[in-house]
Amino acid sequence: MKRTVVFGFVGTVLDYVGKGSERWEKWRPTVGLCQQADLLIDTLVLLHDERNRGLFSRMQRDIAQISPNTEVISHEINLRDPWDFEEVYAALHDLASAYAFDTEHEDYLLHITTGTHVAQICWFLLAESRHFPARLVQTSPPIKRLGQGPEGRVSIIDLDLSRYDKIATRFAHERDASLSLLKSGIATLNPSFNRMIEQIERVAARSKAPMLLCGPTGAGKSFLARRVFELKRARHQLTGRFVEVNCATLRGDAAMSALFGHAKGAFTGAQTERAGLLRSADGGLLFLDEIGELGADEQAMLLKAIEEKRFFPLGSDREVESDFQLIAGTVRDLRAMVASGEFREDLYARINLWSYTLPGLAERPEDLAPNLDYELERFAREHGEQVRFNREARERFLRFATSSQARWRGNFRELGAAVTRMATLADSGRIGIDEVDEEITRLQAGWQDDQTDTLRELLGDAAGTLDLFDRMQLEQVIKVCRECRTLSEAGRRLFDVSRQEKSSSNDADRLRKYLARFGLDWASLQGRD
Amino acid sequence: MKMENPALVELDGAAGEGGGQILRSALTLAMITGRPFVIRRIRAGRARPGLLRQHLTAVQAAAAICAAQVEGAELGSTQLRFDPGAVRAGNYRFAIGSAGSAALVLQTVLPALWLAGAASCVSVSGGTHNQSAPPFEFLAQAWTPLLARMGVKQTLSLLRHGFYPAGGGEIIAHVEPVAGLQGISLLERGPLQDMHAEALVAGVPYKVALRELESVLAAFPAAGQTVIELPMEQGPGNALLLRVVHEVGCEVFCGFGERGVSAERIANGVVQAARRYLASPAVVDAHLADQLLLPMALAGAGEFTATEASAHLLSNKAVIEAFLPVSIALSQCQAAVHVRVCASG
Repeated sequence: MKRTVVFGFVGTVLDYVGKGSERWEKWRPTVGLCQQADLLIDTLVLLHDERNRGLFSRMQRDIAQISPNTEVISHEINLRDPWDFEEVYAALHDLASAYAFDTEHEDYLLHITTGTHVAQICWFLLAESRHFPARLVQTSPPIKRLGQGPEGRVSIIDLDLSRYDKIATRFAHERDASLSLLKSGIATLNPSFNRMIEQIERVAARSKAPMLLCGPTGAGKSFLARRVFELKRARHQLTGRFVEVNCATLRGDAAMSALFGHAKGAFTGAQTERAGLLRSADGGLLFLDEIGELGADEQAMLLKAIEEKRFFPLGSDREVESDFQLIAGTVRDLRAMVASGEFREDLYARINLWSYTLPGLAERPEDLAPNLDYELERFAREHGEQVRFNREARERFLRFATSSQARWRGNFRELGAAVTRMATLADSGRIGIDEVDEEITRLQAGWQDDQTDTLRELLGDAAGTLDLFDRMQLEQVIKVCRECRTLSEAGRRLFDVSRQEKSSSNDADRLRKYLARFGLDWASLQGRD
Repeated sequence: MKMENPALVELDGAAGEGGGQILRSALTLAMITGRPFVIRRIRAGRARPGLLRQHLTAVQAAAAICAAQVEGAELGSTQLRFDPGAVRAGNYRFAIGSAGSAALVLQTVLPALWLAGAASCVSVSGGTHNQSAPPFEFLAQAWTPLLARMGVKQTLSLLRHGFYPAGGGEIIAHVEPVAGLQGISLLERGPLQDMHAEALVAGVPYKVALRELESVLAAFPAAGQTVIELPMEQGPGNALLLRVVHEVGCEVFCGFGERGVSAERIANGVVQAARRYLASPAVVDAHLADQLLLPMALAGAGEFTATEASAHLLSNKAVIEAFLPVSIALSQCQAAVHVRVCASG
């Protein structure tokens, strides 16, 4: 049988009921604790200060009389202010650190009825954080109506909530609801995606720090950002609005003004004051998609705005304040952009704390079916018309959609478009084999066109003279080049492994030579953009 | 499994009275007979099932006296196995605090020491005058004299009173060993010789005692009366004891003062109990009947008439018959219950 060890304060108010024999008829929490028919305390560590030595000794004598097997130990702590949170917490924390807990042979209880409310809160925190491997014990006065004696009642509270079925179930429901919200109710099956969503849920609940969502276009970055906003708003962590902007659409002075606002007369045409997106997002969530597209000035302003929660609107000498949750999105590799000096390292460090890469649809084949259902529901919602696949058609579409043929370059956005097309063309609300086959052809053609067009446009008829081997390699090289800002950046990405072996690598030169073999150069590749 | 150990006694803790009595009787009988027992479903029907501190106290005291091996002696445990060793006479001190009553501990352990072959001295400190347990005076004035007629040599003395909730009292029992007990027959009370009321007060106004005695006197004008004022620090506490002495022996009725309950009501409870007894032809009241059954079973013979066949008495009978080769026959005899113990087989 484990020994029971209790820690508690001498209750200078509740335990003090006078010295006469009538004290036995009054409820004294600490004495009553030792008098319970179904609780046997082997050791009671009583915390008190110098002034209450007398009260401690009297309690020690009384407890010896009613519970001779209980060893009562004095632990003197002199608090300057027992209502000072920091001081009380530190004192109790010290006690926990110094105590040789032996959980194998001893069972620990923290008596929370005596002591200040601050002490009560500290006991709670220390038990909850397992600094004290203890349960809480609460004593309460007798209910006379029920004939309870002066020893009162005792209840033991275990903060291991998994023991409280009702509360645990409630938390589980809440968490499930939150996860479901983040996934828009789509029962996704991809384990790494689900793990990521679970972590985002936890981070969203506990942190106000910026988040960075990476991933290909159409992977659902903007969608997820909006869901995080909704989750935080439902939890009363945000009161403001959801503000979304694609940085690629912002250029020049207009970019500054759109983000940070401007004062009246700040520039020609600035006839009225403009608040700017950052200020509109005050108390809310700002989603900056394609953050890699921001110019250097905007990056600098944004960094200040994130760090200090204040900034200068264009043409204004008065700072304005805005406190918002930032989520940034990017298709491009920001780390590489930092290396090439195109993105501020300090801004990257600031937004890279919680960074998540959203996998494309092709990497989540198991999530195709649930997303397909979601898209059908969305269509029904938006068009007020229920559309279903017939069984065979659904199977055929899914078989194609999860095959290696399906590239899903536009990811979820592309899936949504496919569903919209099939649903629109379907007669009487049923998508059949014909609609599916047509759509498969359409999708394949789209992906095919994509490739041949690129080479044909750049090389003309010469494209037809290339081997499939060269065509495929060149297509991918061109794709990377178009994702990068400079020839050097593209070179670094393409020769990412071999360059590490060279003492002085000239990736840009290697790339230039490769392109030259096909009569191509950097400028001609970028020309199409 | 009785096959493994034929001496093992298996008991259902929820049978009959279903409380601590079954456990205490089993402990006493295991010590005396050396037979181990398992008791299951301890206090199964109660609001707080399983062993409470007062039961644990009795188990620990019994285990100390016979060096028993015990399993399941934990708070809240609903199953207990007790393998007794040899009873060792000697000096024992049990400090039980206010967890239970000194009288219940003594009633559990003393019978084992009666036949232990050497003298013993047992001191129990804690509550001596508690609700729902016999007070010291019952043990000393009602129980011990009848035991003496059966051959038991024990004397009890009260060193200090201990009331609920403070406890702090102490009773000392001296036991001289005897070779065996003799059965007795208690079928006739004989004439009423004396009635005496005693009001104890400690840290409680003197007039409470006076009011209690006045109420007793109103019912039994011939009764003698005494107020015993105890030192303040032994309180707070108040008990009213009414001794009714017939030729055959003494009965003690008691009531305990409680906050919010008037002195008259407490006295009235005691008076009612005494009246019920006096109106009955039985020699002993329910409590004394419980406590006579075991020594008579040890003697292997004896009979008495009791006011009623209480749940405690029936539970006790069942436990005793499980341990000892005796049969206990109950029969209705006028307005009383005739209890007869005889050796079986």
